[in-house]
Amino acid sequence: MQILACFKVVPDLDQMPAGDWLVDDRFRVETGYVKNMLNPYDESALEITLRYADQARRGNLPLNLTALTIGSKQADTYLKTLYALRYDKAVRVASDRDIRFLPEIAAAVISEYAAEKNRADVLIMGMQSGVGDNAKTPLLTAEYLNWPCITGVVAIEPANNGTKNLLKVKSMVDSGILEQTVRPPLVLAVSNAPGTYLRVPTLKDKVEYGKKPVEVQEMDNFKTGLAAANTSGGCRLTGLKPINHRREGLIIDGETAAEKARILYHSYLRERLGKL
Amino acid sequence: MASISREQIVENLVKLLDEEKVVTDEQVLKDSSVDRFRRYEEIHGFYTQPLPAAVVYAGSKEDVASILKFASEHSINVVPRTGDSATEGGLETAVEHSIVLDGSGMNEIISIDPYNMLATCQCGAPLQDLEDRLREQGYTTGHSPQSKPLAQLGGLVATRSIGQFSTLYGGIEDMVVGLEAVFPNGEITKIKNVPRRAAGPDIRHVIIGNEGALCYITEVTVKIYKYSPENNYLLGYTLDNMKTGFEILREVMVNGYRPSVARLYDEEDGSQHFSHFAEDKCVLILMAEGPKPLAEATGKAMEAIVEKYAECEKVDHRLIQVWFDNLNWDVSKVAEEREEIFATKNISNTTEIAATWDKIYDIYKVCVERIRTEIPDITLIGGHSSHSYLNGTNMYFVYFYNVVDCSPEEEISKYHLPIKRIIVEETIKAGGSMCHHHGVGKHRTPWIKDEYGSSYYILKTLKEAFDPEGIMNKGTIFPGE
Repeated sequence: MQILACFKVVPDLDQMPAGDWLVDDRFRVETGYVKNMLNPYDESALEITLRYADQARRGNLPLNLTALTIGSKQADTYLKTLYALRYDKAVRVASDRDIRFLPEIAAAVISEYAAEKNRADVLIMGMQSGVGDNAKTPLLTAEYLNWPCITGVVAIEPANNGTKNLLKVKSMVDSGILEQTVRPPLVLAVSNAPGTYLRVPTLKDKVEYGKKPVEVQEMDNFKTGLAAANTSGGCRLTGLKPINHRREGLIIDGETAAEKARILYHSYLRERLGKL
Repeated sequence: MASISREQIVENLVKLLDEEKVVTDEQVLKDSSVDRFRRYEEIHGFYTQPLPAAVVYAGSKEDVASILKFASEHSINVVPRTGDSATEGGLETAVEHSIVLDGSGMNEIISIDPYNMLATCQCGAPLQDLEDRLREQGYTTGHSPQSKPLAQLGGLVATRSIGQFSTLYGGIEDMVVGLEAVFPNGEITKIKNVPRRAAGPDIRHVIIGNEGALCYITEVTVKIYKYSPENNYLLGYTLDNMKTGFEILREVMVNGYRPSVARLYDEEDGSQHFSHFAEDKCVLILMAEGPKPLAEATGKAMEAIVEKYAECEKVDHRLIQVWFDNLNWDVSKVAEEREEIFATKNISNTTEIAATWDKIYDIYKVCVERIRTEIPDITLIGGHSSHSYLNGTNMYFVYFYNVVDCSPEEEISKYHLPIKRIIVEETIKAGGSMCHHHGVGKHRTPWIKDEYGSSYYILKTLKEAFDPEGIMNKGTIFPGE
C-alpha cells in the first residue's frame, strides 16, 4: 500500500495578540511573528497514518509512506520529524506563493504528484485548515483524480482478514461512527479525530532516520497545477472584515442558588422562552 | 503516624470547622494526594500515594491555628496548599491519613498602599488578581512566574518562587516585606512591615521557602513597583553557542547592568519556542525596563555588549514580544498538556539548578551529554538560563521522553528520577545548588545533606525547634523516615 499523507504548516493563531489583527492593503494579516505549527487536522492525518503503519508492519503488509507539503523551507523541520517517525519519503513542493485561498492549486499539485510521481493508493489529509478554511482541497483532489473521497475520517486499519490493499475506514457521520471496508484508490479527509496528536520521535530516531534530505520539487514542474492557477477565478478575495465574537457577561448575585435561578428565569429566560 | 483513626480525624475536623469546609470526596482526596510531579500517573488514573483523610478549606488564620494544634496533638501529617501548582512533589501526601490544609479560600487582597509601595494579601490571593489590580493603578509586583495564572501568594512564598523579571526585581525573597504565619503549636506570628532592620537575624527567611515543612503562611506583604511597560527595551539575538551566551550574560551582570529579563536558550529547548526564526540556533533575550532614561541607557549598553560578539544576530523584537506574551501557563494550557500526554505518552519535566559563572557551562554540558546517552527514549534534552546574578546564573533543564514499556506508576523511577539524579549530582559535585526556584519538594531530599554540607545543622535545628512533632508536610525538604 502506497500512502501519501499531505499536510500544511500554519501560524499558531492562538498566539496572535488581539491588536495584531490588522488587514493590510493587500488583504493580508501579518502572522510572521507567531510560531508555526502543523494544521491540527493534518496532524491527525499524519498520526492516523502512522497508527495504520504500526498495524500493517505487525501484519507484514507491504507499505510505503510519503509525506507531502507545499510551502517554504520552514516546513522542512516537520518533514525531518516525519522521516524520524519512519515516513519513507518526505517531499516539499517549493512555493512562496500565497495559495491559502486557492485550493484548486493545492489540489492540482497534490493530485499530479499522487498520480504521476508517487503512484499513491491512498491519499490522506486534514479536511480543512484554519487559514483559508475552505475545506475544498481533499474534495477537489478526489475530483481531479476521479477517486472516491471519504470525509470525516477518524481512523484507518488494515482490513480484518488481512487482505492486501483493502482498508477499513472509520468516519464520523450524523448517526455516529461509520465503518467501511474499501478498496483503494481513494482520498481520505480527516476530521476531528480525538487523541490523534502526532507522536514524538526520540533523539535516537532523529539521528538514525531524521537526517535524510527532504526531496524538494519545484512548483514550476507541476504543469496542471499552474494551469489551474491560471484558470482559477471562481473565488476572488475582495475584502476582509473581523467577525465580532464579543459577548456580554453578567454575574447574577443572590443569596442562594434558588434565588439566583429565580432571577435568571424572571429577568432573562421567561421572555425568551415565551417567544419560542 | 496519626494516633487516632481516619474516621476520628474527620469527625474532629468537622467539630473544629464547619462541615462544608471538610471534604472527603474520594476523587478530591485522590487529586489532593499528588501535584504535577506525578501527573503522568494521575492522567492515567493511577494514584500511588496514601490518600489524605480530608481536604480542609481554612477560612482564617484561626482556622489554620486550630487545625495545626489538633494535628500536633494527634501526630497527624498536614500538607499546606494554596494554588496547587507545585511541581516537585511538595503537595504529595506521603503518609497515611494526612490533612491537606487548603488556604485558597483566604483570597482577600487586604490593602494596596502606593505611598509606602506595599501590597498585603491573604495566602490564597491569586498572584494574577493582585497583579491585575496593581496594573490598573500603574503598579506591579515585578513577580511573573510561568505559573502566574494559577499560583497564589502563600505557595509562592513557601516555595521561594521566582519570576521572569527576576534579574531586576529579584526572587520572592527580595519582594517580601512582612509575613504572617501559623506554627504547628497553633502560635500565630506576624512579622511587621519595615524597610529594613538590624535587630538580629532576618526571621522572614525561616518562613520564606519552608515549603510547608515548618509553618503555614497566612498573609504576605510584598513590595510594589511603578509599572511602565511603554519604556521596555526588548532585545533578541540568535547565536551559535551557549558558552558565548553565558559570557554575554556575565558581562552584562558584572558591569552593573540590571536587565529585567536575561534569558539564554540552547537550540534544543529553543526549538520548542523559536523554530520560526532561529532553527538550530541558541537564542538570547534581554530586556530593560523602568523609568525611560534608565531603561534606554541599560538597553543600549546591553546592545553594545552583544554587538562585540560576531556570532550574535539581532532579531525583530516583536518575535520575542509575541512569544513572551504567550509564555505563561493557564488552566487551558494545563488541560491541553494533559490531553497531549495521554495521547502521545510523551511527557516533559524540568529540573532547575544554579551555579557560579565558572561552573555553569560545564554543568550544563555534562548533564545534557549524560542524559542524552544514559537515559532511554529521550525526545528532547536542553535548557535555558533565565535568572542571572552578579556571581552566576541558573540553568533550567527541560527534558521530554516517551514512556515506553512501563506502566504509568513506573514512569518516575524509569525516567524522571534518573534524569534528576544526573542533574543534581553533577551540580552538587561542581559546587552549585541543586534547587534554583521550584523548591526541594519530596524528590530532591536524598541530596539535601549534600546540598547544605556542614550548614545542614542549622536547617535540621529549625525543623526540630518549630515542628518537634514532625507533622508539617512529611518528606518535604527533610527526608522522610
